[in-house]
Parts: sequence; C-alpha cells; structure tokens
Amino acid sequence: MATWMFYILGAITVVATLLAITQRNPVHAVIYLVNSFFALALLFFLLGAPLVAAWEVIIYAGAIMVLFLFIIMMLEIAPGVEADRYGPNWLQWLPILLLAAALGICTLLLTGLDPVGSNGVPHWYASPRDFGYALFKEYALAIEVVSFQLLFAAVGAFYVGRPERKSKSPAGGDR
Amino acid sequence: MTLLLALIPILPLFGGLVNACFGSRLPRPLSALIACGAVLGSFLATLGCWPGAAGEGLKTTLFTWLQSGSFSAEVGLLFDPLAAIMALMVTGVASLIHLYAAGYMEDDSDQARFFALLNLFVFAMLTIVLADNLLLMFLGWEGVGFCSYGLIGFWYRKTENAVAGRKAFIVTRIGDLFFTVGLLWLFARFGTIGIEAINSRAAELDPTTLTLISLLLLGGACGKSAQLPLMSWLPDAMAGPTPVSALIHAATMVTAGVYLLCRMFPLVSLSPLAMGVIACVGVLTAFYAATCALAQREIKRVLAYSTMSQVGYMFLAVGLDSVSAAMFHLLTHAFFKALLFMGAGCLIQLAGHENDIFQMGGMRRRSQTVFWLFLAGLLCLAGAPLTGGFFSKDLILATAFAKGDPFHLGIYGLGVLTAGITSLYSFRLAYLLFAGDFRGEELPHELPKLMIWPLPLLALLGLSGGLLNLPHLFGGRSWLSGWLERENDLLQIPLQSEYLLLGVAAAVFLLGWLVAHFRYRRFAERETEVCKQFFLTGWQCDAFFDRLLIRPFRKLCYFCWQGGDLGLIDGLVEGFARACLQWGHAIRFLADGRISRYLQGFAWGLLLIVGWFLLQAVR
Amino acid sequence: MIVPLEHVLILSTILFLLGLVCVLVRRNLIMILIGIEIMLNAVGLLLVGASAFWQQIDGQVMVIFLMAMTSAEVSISLAMVVYLNRRKGTVDVRAFDEMRG
Repeated sequence: MATWMFYILGAITVVATLLAITQRNPVHAVIYLVNSFFALALLFFLLGAPLVAAWEVIIYAGAIMVLFLFIIMMLEIAPGVEADRYGPNWLQWLPILLLAAALGICTLLLTGLDPVGSNGVPHWYASPRDFGYALFKEYALAIEVVSFQLLFAAVGAFYVGRPERKSKSPAGGDR
Repeated sequence: MTLLLALIPILPLFGGLVNACFGSRLPRPLSALIACGAVLGSFLATLGCWPGAAGEGLKTTLFTWLQSGSFSAEVGLLFDPLAAIMALMVTGVASLIHLYAAGYMEDDSDQARFFALLNLFVFAMLTIVLADNLLLMFLGWEGVGFCSYGLIGFWYRKTENAVAGRKAFIVTRIGDLFFTVGLLWLFARFGTIGIEAINSRAAELDPTTLTLISLLLLGGACGKSAQLPLMSWLPDAMAGPTPVSALIHAATMVTAGVYLLCRMFPLVSLSPLAMGVIACVGVLTAFYAATCALAQREIKRVLAYSTMSQVGYMFLAVGLDSVSAAMFHLLTHAFFKALLFMGAGCLIQLAGHENDIFQMGGMRRRSQTVFWLFLAGLLCLAGAPLTGGFFSKDLILATAFAKGDPFHLGIYGLGVLTAGITSLYSFRLAYLLFAGDFRGEELPHELPKLMIWPLPLLALLGLSGGLLNLPHLFGGRSWLSGWLERENDLLQIPLQSEYLLLGVAAAVFLLGWLVAHFRYRRFAERETEVCKQFFLTGWQCDAFFDRLLIRPFRKLCYFCWQGGDLGLIDGLVEGFARACLQWGHAIRFLADGRISRYLQGFAWGLLLIVGWFLLQAVR
Repeated sequence: MIVPLEHVLILSTILFLLGLVCVLVRRNLIMILIGIEIMLNAVGLLLVGASAFWQQIDGQVMVIFLMAMTSAEVSISLAMVVYLNRRKGTVDVRAFDEMRG
C-alpha cells in the first residue's frame, strides 16, 4: 500500500513540477508548485518524517509560496502582454534539456551501480518528541546560528527593500 | 721611521680629503696652502726615510685590507731603493708643480676641486710606488686613472674636454684589463700577491706562462704609459690644465708603466721573448711619436708626443735588460718634461691663451726668463751633450749597441734616427716659438710670480741630471746603478766604441738642429702636405681605430639594441602580453553578464564530476 | 519496507534536474528563484529518504536547517527582485548584464 502511494505521489510531484517550470505565467507556476509541495509533504510523511511534512506545508507551501505570490502581484508581472516575453523558447530549452538528460542518465547509472541502493527503505517513524530532543540537544548551537541567520536575512531584506530617497544614487546601499 | 714611511702617502690623502670636503668653504690661499703643504710634507717624509732605503729597504704593514681563505691583501708599504728614488722624484716634482699650480689656478673658481684631485693623484701615485703587493698597486693604478680622468675633463663644460677625459679613461681601462688578468694569473700560480714573493719565485713558472704573464703586464703598462697600440689618448689628454699635463701626463703617471715593469723585472726578465717585445714596443713608440711631434701645431701636443716618445725610450731600456738606464731616463725626463710643460703653460699665458705655435713667435721678447728656462728643457729633450737627457738617452742607446746582435743593432739604428728627429722637432718648436715676431694679435697676460720660480729648480735638475749616473768615462761612478744594485747594467764595451757612440749622439743632435735652423729660422706658412697631415693626425691612428673598433662596436651595439633588445626580448615579452590579450578578447564572450550562463558552467562541471565517478564505478 | 532507496534517489534526481533546467532556461528572475526552490526541495527529499534508510534522525534535522536557510534566502532574493525591478523596471535577467566582460 505504502509502496503504491510512493509511486503515485512521486508521479504527482514530477508532473506538477514539470508543469510549474513550463508556465508562462508566474502565478500559475507558483500554484502548480504548491501542488507539487503538497505531494512532497506526503512523501515525507511516508518516509517517516511527520514533522518535516507539516513544516513543508506550513513553511514552503504556506509562507514562501505566498511570499512569491505577493511579490508577483506587487510587481505586476502577471499575465498579459509581458508574459510572452518570459515564455519558453524551444531553441533555448534544447541544449539545457540535453545537459539535464545527460546528467540524469549519469546519475541514474551511478545510483544503479551502488549495491546499497537496491535495499529497501524500512518502515520507520521519527516522533516529534525524538525530533525535538535531537534538535535542541545535539544541534542547540546550530539552532542559534540559524536563528541569527534568519535575523540577518530579515534586516538585510528590510535594508534592500527600503524606499529610495531622491537624493541617493541609484546604486543605493553604499551608505 | 715606519711612521714617517706611512706619512708619505697619508699626507696627500689627507690634503685631498680636506680639500674635497671643505675646500670650497676655505679661503682660497688656505686651500692651495693645504695642498702644497701636504705634498711638501710628503717630500720631506721621503727625505727622512731615505737612509732606510738602502739594501733590503724599509717594510711596514699598516693593516690587513682583504682576507678571504688563503688570500690576503695587506696595505703594506715597501721602501726599497727603486721605490725610494721613484717616491723622491714623484713627491719632489709634485711639490714644485703644486706651487706652480697655485699660481696657475689663481683665478679659477673650481680651485678646491682641482687641488683635491691633484692631491688624491699624488696619493694614488705614491700607492703605486710604495705598494708591497700587486693588488694595492692596482688600487693606486686605478686611482691615478680616475684622477687623470677627472683632471683631463677638469673644464668639463666644454664637450671636447669631457670627451678627451673619457677617451683616456676607456683606453687605459683596456690596458688595466690586461694587468688585472696578469695579476689574477700570478695569484692563481703562486697563491700570493706580494711583489717580493712573486719575484723570488718567478723561476718556478714554465716559460710559456711566464711569457704570457709578462706580456699581460706589458699590456697594462702600455695602457698607462701610452705606448703602441694604446697610445691615442695621450695627445687628447692635453685638454686638461697645464699643471696636470706636467704632473700626470709627463712626469709621473705615464711613467707608472715603466715603474711596473721595473718592479716586476725579476719576473719579466726571465722571458727573452717578452723582453724583445718590450724593446720593440718601446723603440717603435719612440719613433712613431717623434714623427708625429714633427707636424703638430699645438704646443702641448708636441710635448705630449715627445713624452710618448721618451717613455718609449724607457720601455726600450727595460727591454734591454737595463733597469738603471730606464730609471735614469725616467728621472731626467721627469725633470725636463715637467719644466717644458710648465714653461709651455707660461708661454701660453704670455701669448694670451694661444695654443697654436704658428700663431706665436718672438716670445723671447715677452719674457727673457721663460725663454732661457724653456730652452734648457728643450736642450735636455733634444739630447744636447752634457745635459741630463743626453746621458740618459745615450746610456739606453749604448746598451742596445752593446748587445751586438743584429736585432739590437737594428733597434739602435732606429733609436738613433729617433734621437735625430727628437732634436729636429725640439728646435722646430724653439724656432717657431721664439724666433721672428709675434704672429698673433693677443696681448700678453700677466704671469704670476709663483709660476716662474719652480722652473729654475727644475731646469737645474734637468741640466745636471747626468750627475745621477755619470758614466766612468766622464769621471763619474754610476751612482744610480749602484744605488739600485744593478752593477751589471754598466756598459762593457771598448773605450773607442764608447767615444764613437757619444760622437754619433752629438752628431745626430747637431744634424737635427741644423735642419731645424734652415727650415724654421724664418717662419713661412706652408701649405699642408699629405705627409704632414698624416703625421699631424698621429698616423691616422684615431681614424684607424675608429674603423677597426669603434664603428663595428657601434654597429654591434645598434644590432643588439634593435635586434636583440627591441626585436627579440621586447618582442617576446610584448608578444606574450599580446597573446594573453588576444586570448582574453577571444574568451570574453563567456563573461556576458548573464547568470544563467555562469550557472550552466557549474552544471557542465557537475556533469564532468558525475561522469568521472561513473567511470570509476564502472571500472 | 516501502521502496528501494534508489527509487527515492531517482525521484530526487529528477526533481533536482527539473529545478536546474528551470534556473538555466528561464529569464524571469521569479522563475529562476522558483527553480532554486525546486532544487532545494529535491535535496530535502534526499535527506529525508536517507534519514529513513539509516533510521537516524539527523537527516530530518538537516531538512529543518535547509528550510530555515531557504526562508532567509527567499526573503533576501525577493527583496533584491523588488529592488532590481525598481532600478530597471523589469525582471528580465538579460537586463542585468553590467558584469559583461
């Protein structure tokens, strides 16, 4: 049962992602991506990571993608005349696709050659309680570092996005 | 005694340094006084040391100069009979010339520089004379070269003076190179550079090496003494002030080559071939320079060529195995040639800074004193009987004659011919200068007293110089030969031959006088003949060297500059730079400022890495 | 036992390559950022799969850090997009080629 679920969810993820990257309209792309992330969250759950699955939904599908939507709407680059300018161009896609295909084939072959790979992933479950212990005991310092990083990112984003004064040069941030 | 000996070179050094450092701030008379006093003090010190010179001589080591492994060079002084007589001559003549220079340079604004260089020159010359090892001698050797350079180009604002100084420096440098090689070779063979040590062990060398080293030393001596083929700098050196010509280019420095050969005589004399070459160089230079002197128009150039010619006689004497004859001629020549140069300086002053003897004439009426003094010098130069020059030159020629074999008889013949020419050009100079009326327009300049009164002393020394080594024939006892412990230099020929030789010498002198008398008694401007032009330009030697050496050298330099430096080296460097630039231009499209291109590069790299792992896994 | 580990790897690879293609091909800055998100998620899937395979919790912890890092990166990048759009009035990467050699 879980095996079938894995393949179905994997297929949904791949198809949704494929649709997302080929959209002309960024809003559509974001919606497809949210779709893909939901499927991915379920995959995480299947692989025994319920907490990660929840965060995938909350942070990725919820926060980050909504942020994307906000920005897209704010900049008014949604559909219409401009959309065509950013649309796919097959001549441009071809070499990259070939490159990606070559990379994929190499990786697949490499994966297939590894004897460990054919072993199954066991049924296993990391409870939120275990997770919390590991996070705040073993990785306490890392958590602090990451929280600082988030703080810096917030300050940085605030600085970059500040309203421009008229007397400033266009480069802006050299004060 | 040792202290006194050390004072001999130190006093002029001190005087030179004082004048070099503070001379321009001292009052003028004081600057001259320091210079003269230093040299005079040196002369007195030499006199004080004199008693110690006999026999083995005085020796002292001041300090060790260089020390490296088995090699060590000391600043050591050696005051043996040869050095003593040379030092006495150098300091004595230098003292008189310094006094003269004090008068001569009265109005020059660079007096301090002049006296500094002059004193340094005396110091360097005394270093040559007193050095007990070859390296120290070489130090003095280079020192006199440098001072000579600085003094020839003393009035450096005129380009030809600076060029003359440079020419002298470069040509003597060629000779110095030979000397250096000889010096190093000697050190390599003996492991020492002490002059006495080398001389006493000279017989250990095999004949070929010995000859080659002797010839190298001869090369060095030729450069300094303006002998063939390195002679072309001396006439041009007359661009310097007259006291310089008198001191450096007549009395002392140009005889340094002779002194070197006398110093190393025990070594040089072991090689018959080298001795023959020295004699040939000497007599050929004597002849060459005498012919050149015949046609010169500038008074100092005549004297320069005559100097070259007389130094040639000294070389001849060395080549004839007779150190005492060489030293004898060196001494008398120093006296009368210094006298002649200083007299020439007076005459030039009297004629209103006129150098050209064709523009002079009737100088006798301008100063009777100078006339008589100058004539005394000319008589010595021409070899008038019973003057110093007569005895010393005659001793050399007689020594050549006494050898008896055809080679030496040929040399004797050429020497006698040269003596005749010497007499001829001496009297040509005398008649052109003093006979008739003054041909120029310049008014006489005043002559400082200081320029006159060193001259009588020198005239006396020159005229009576024969007493130094008066042969037995005239009742003398050949004092100089005895002092130098060279008794076997005394002539061993029959009395009749000796009279004959004296007669020949006197006859040649008279013949030269007579020819000059009839030819130059009345001045007439003659048109320039080819032969005269040839002699005037010194046998076209400058042109010859220009063709032979300077032009090919320039071409080579030009080739190296254009072909080697600009073409090859710059071409390589710039070509490399240009290749880098082109390569950069060629690949600059890669950096087109589009991030996706850069990321694509990452992806291709990733493909490479994954492909590499795949290959590893398959294997 | 759900699936062999290599199937997780294959899925992750495919997702990663899709993200890569998106980054390399699209010219819209927003789409490039989306491509980066896809690639990061592919890595997250790999980490969770590995965590399950070895039954170690560290892989999942790494995913948490990954998400934190991603949120920081997205906030900065989107601020930059706003800034760049304000400067040039477009989000086409071809407009930002001042570093061209």
